[in-house]
Amino acid sequence: MELKTSLRSALLAATMIPFGLATQAEEITIAVGHQSMCTDTYTAGIVIKELGLLEKYLPTDGKYADAEYDISWADYSSGGPITNQMLANKLNFGVMGDYPLIVNGAKFQETDSLRTVYVAGTGYNLKGSGNAIVVPVDSDIYSIDQLKGKEVSTPVGSAAWGMLLKAMQDNNIPTSEYVLKNQSPAVGAANIAAGKIDAHSDFCPWSEIMEYRGTGRKIYDGSETGVPYLHGVVVRQDFAEEYPEVVQAFIKAVYEAGEWIREDPMRAVTEMESWTGVEKEVLYLYFSKGGHLTLEPSIKTEWVDALKFNHGVLVAEKAIPPLDFDAWITEDYLKAAYADMGVDYEAYKASMVDPEVANKGLPMEIWHSRDGVSTYETPAEFLKGMADIRATAALVNATYVYDVETGLKLFGKTAFWVKAGDAYATFLRKGEAEAFASANAGEVVTFDDAIAAYATDG
Amino acid sequence: MEVVKTLGRAVRRDWRRMIVTGLMFAVGMQVLMMIALMVRFQGLPNYAVGYDWIGNVIHIIKSTPSWGDIMPIVNQEWLIEIGKMNYDYGTGISEWSLNVVPVRMIVLFVLGALVALCLSLLRADGCDVATGTTLRATTGLGTVLIAMTNATMSWVVCCAAPSWVVGLAMLGLGVSTSLALESMGPALNLAGFGLLLCTALYLAWRKVRRAQYLSGSLKHA
Repeated sequence: MELKTSLRSALLAATMIPFGLATQAEEITIAVGHQSMCTDTYTAGIVIKELGLLEKYLPTDGKYADAEYDISWADYSSGGPITNQMLANKLNFGVMGDYPLIVNGAKFQETDSLRTVYVAGTGYNLKGSGNAIVVPVDSDIYSIDQLKGKEVSTPVGSAAWGMLLKAMQDNNIPTSEYVLKNQSPAVGAANIAAGKIDAHSDFCPWSEIMEYRGTGRKIYDGSETGVPYLHGVVVRQDFAEEYPEVVQAFIKAVYEAGEWIREDPMRAVTEMESWTGVEKEVLYLYFSKGGHLTLEPSIKTEWVDALKFNHGVLVAEKAIPPLDFDAWITEDYLKAAYADMGVDYEAYKASMVDPEVANKGLPMEIWHSRDGVSTYETPAEFLKGMADIRATAALVNATYVYDVETGLKLFGKTAFWVKAGDAYATFLRKGEAEAFASANAGEVVTFDDAIAAYATDG
Repeated sequence: MEVVKTLGRAVRRDWRRMIVTGLMFAVGMQVLMMIALMVRFQGLPNYAVGYDWIGNVIHIIKSTPSWGDIMPIVNQEWLIEIGKMNYDYGTGISEWSLNVVPVRMIVLFVLGALVALCLSLLRADGCDVATGTTLRATTGLGTVLIAMTNATMSWVVCCAAPSWVVGLAMLGLGVSTSLALESMGPALNLAGFGLLLCTALYLAWRKVRRAQYLSGSLKHA
C-alpha cells in the first residue's frame, strides 16, 4: 500500500503542483449523473439542477465554513454509463432505475476497494406502472397472449426487460414461443412507428410518448406484474463518509423537488418539458395527481424486497455479481435529512400509495391548450366538455381518464370506452373492456364516437 | 529454448511489419465497426466527442485505493465517441455509438502484431496445403475471438451492464446467445490469444525441428 502511495505521489506530483499553489479553501466536487429521458429520476436530477435546490441546502458552517462547491450535472440516456463514471470517480451521485441500481451496487461490491450506498428513492409506482409493452397503433394485437410467435424487442438489462420476462412467465409464455430482440428505446420506438416490430417493451416514459404521438398502443402495463417500480439515488461510499452533510443536503433537495411538483403539476411539467424535451402532456401522466409516479424518497421494506426480486432476475439471466443489500442500503442519511427538516420520516415510510385505491373517484381531465386543465367528475360531463370544445374547434393538448380495473391514468384517446346504457367506463385493455361490455349489456365504442354522442344529444 | 530464440529472431526480422499490421488492425477494426453501424442503422454519424483520456486515467489512479481495481476501470475509459444522436426524443438520445477505447486499441494492436508474426512464420514454413490451411484457420479463429470480445459499439440498451456483447447484439446477435456469451468475454479473449501464441510457437517449433533435421541430414551425408 505504501509502495503504491509513493508511486502515485511520484507519478502525479507534476499534476498536483498547480493545485498546491491554489487557494487554501477546500473545494468539494459534487458530480451528479442523472437521466433527463427517464421521468422517475427527475426529482433527483433535472428538477434539482434547474431550480438550484442542492445549492440551497449545501452546508456552509462547521467544517464546511470555507468550502467551495463545484457542482456539475451529467445527463445520460441510461444507468449503465453512470455506474461506469462513478467507478471512475467522475461522478459521486447517480440517479437511476431499479435494475441499473442493482447492477451499480453489485459492480461496486465486486471491486476490492470501492462501494456505493443506496441512500434514497426518488419515486415509485407500487404495482409497476412506468414499464409497459406497446404494439404499433394499427396492430391487431390486443393482449399479451397474442405475442406468441411474435417478435418482441426491449432494452435488455433494463427494468422493462425484467418486467417483460415476468409478464411472459406469468402468462405461461416460454421464451421459446416468442422472439426476443435487444433494442434501444429510440430504435424500438422508431420500429413501432414504422410497424417493423410486433411489440416493444420499454421503461418510463417511452410507452406514453408512443401513445401520445399516436404511433403505439399499450397492451400490457407493468402494474400487472405487481412488482413495484422504483428509482433511487446511489452515492460513492468514500464521498458519503467524507461529506455526510452533503448527502443529506441532496436528499433535502430531492424532497423539495417532489413538493415543488406536487404544488403545481402543470407548472412543473411545463418547466420540465423545456428542460428535457419530453412532451408536457406525457409528463403530466406521471406527475399529476393520480399519475403513475408517487414522489417520495423513503426506503420501504417493500422496495428492498422488490430490489431483491429484481436481483434474482438478473442473476438468473445475466450472471450478475452478488449484492449484499444490508451493506448497500442505508436509511441513515434519509433519517438525518428528514430530522433536520422537521419531517416525520417513519410516517412517510409507512405510507403507501396504491393507484387502484388512491385514484378511485378522481376526476377526468381535459388539458385545453389555452385554458389549461379542467376537471370533470363523471364521464358524461367529460364527454360533454370534449364535445363543446370540439364544437369551437379549440385545441386540446390531451385528455386523461382512469382504467376501471387498475386505477391507472390513461390518455382519453387511447382508452377503450364502453357505453352501457347512459354510463361510460374506460379501460386500458380491450379484453377487459369487452368483458365489461358483455356483462353490462354495453358495447365498446371509440373515443370519437363517445364524444359525438354528446355533440348530437347534448 | 530454441523455439523462443527462433521466435525472437522472427520478431527482430519482422518488427516493422508487425507494428504496421498492429496499427492497421487497431485502426481498421474501428473503421470496420463504424461501417457496420452505418450499414446496420442506415445512417451517418452526426456527433463526435473527445475525452481527456490521460486526465481521466490519472484521476482514476488517484482516487482508486486498490491497484487491482484500477485496470478494469481504466479498461472502460473512452478516448473518442462517435455516433448518431436522435433528436426526435427529448433533447436528443444517442441511437448508436462507437467508442474508441485506448486499452482495447492496444489489445487490437497486439492482435495485429501476432497475426503478422504467425503469417510470417507460416510463409517461411513451406508446409503442405492441409497443414497450412489448418494453421491459417487457427490464426483466423484466434483473430475473430479477440476482435469480437473487443467490440466497442454501444447503444442505450445496456441499462444494466454495458459490455462487448452489446455490440454484437446491435448487429443482430440473439438475446439468449448474447447473454450466454457475456460472462465468457475474458475466457474467449484469452482463448484467442492462446490460439495465436500456440500457432506461433508451433510454427517456430517446426522451424527448429526442420533445421535440426537438415543439419542432421547434412551430417550424415
